[in-house]
Amino acid sequence: MKNIDEISRLSADDLDRIGQDASVQVPEDFRVRLPHRSRAVWAVAASVAILLGVGIWSLPKPPKDTFDDPYLAYAALEQALGRVGDAIALGASKVEAAEVEFDKINYWK
Amino acid sequence: MKKLYIILILLAVSISAMAQDGRALYTKYSDLPGVEAVYISSAMFRLIGKIPDVEMNGEDVNLAPIIKALKGFYILSTEDQATGNDLYADVTKRLDRGEYELLMEAKEDGEVMRLYTAGDDFTVRSFIMLTRDATEVTFMGLDGDMPRDQLEDLILKAVED
Repeated sequence: MKNIDEISRLSADDLDRIGQDASVQVPEDFRVRLPHRSRAVWAVAASVAILLGVGIWSLPKPPKDTFDDPYLAYAALEQALGRVGDAIALGASKVEAAEVEFDKINYWK
Repeated sequence: MKKLYIILILLAVSISAMAQDGRALYTKYSDLPGVEAVYISSAMFRLIGKIPDVEMNGEDVNLAPIIKALKGFYILSTEDQATGNDLYADVTKRLDRGEYELLMEAKEDGEVMRLYTAGDDFTVRSFIMLTRDATEVTFMGLDGDMPRDQLEDLILKAVED
């Protein structure tokens, strides 16, 4: 049996001729052995594929929309953004009140 | 090269985890008794963006780019004390992972309101509001790729109104 160096020196015609030759038998103990580094790469690739598969499988399914009507959905969104605005306005009013107190303190210094 | 792959995988997992937070919380709490729940999907946001009659181009703020960039909107609200405690603890645990940045916090007479964002200098990928008072716990989450400057303009406009 030829080794890898001998095979790499063969021309394309030689390889084609050998490939066509039915008298050449594949040895019974023939096994494709990946180089050591390739095996490690394949192991990492397989692990990543398994992790991705498990991750995708375990993702929560998308919930059902609360609203069928986009107008109602928009109204709910607007209301929610209004709540955010109220919350920020509350925070801003506290900052303003604190600034007034700081100004008073600075005035009497 | 290996480091680059690891960084890319961690980045992808981190972004994906952010996107799953609102959905996972919604799935867990929305069907419980005493919980009010609202969910708007990215498909519905696309529909909202196409409504011709809705006024989305205000004088100062154009909502359309933000609405089209939204991928999910979740509200969970409950007056049930046990469920509220669980929801508050669950949200806080996710926020404490370090992906979110505290935008603002206000406390008054036992009432707590916190706003968080996750993303980078230009894009907000997740926006969360968590409030708690004597009777109610409310979680609100927005997922998407929202331009940060436009979201800030929108919030400032909401404050002015």
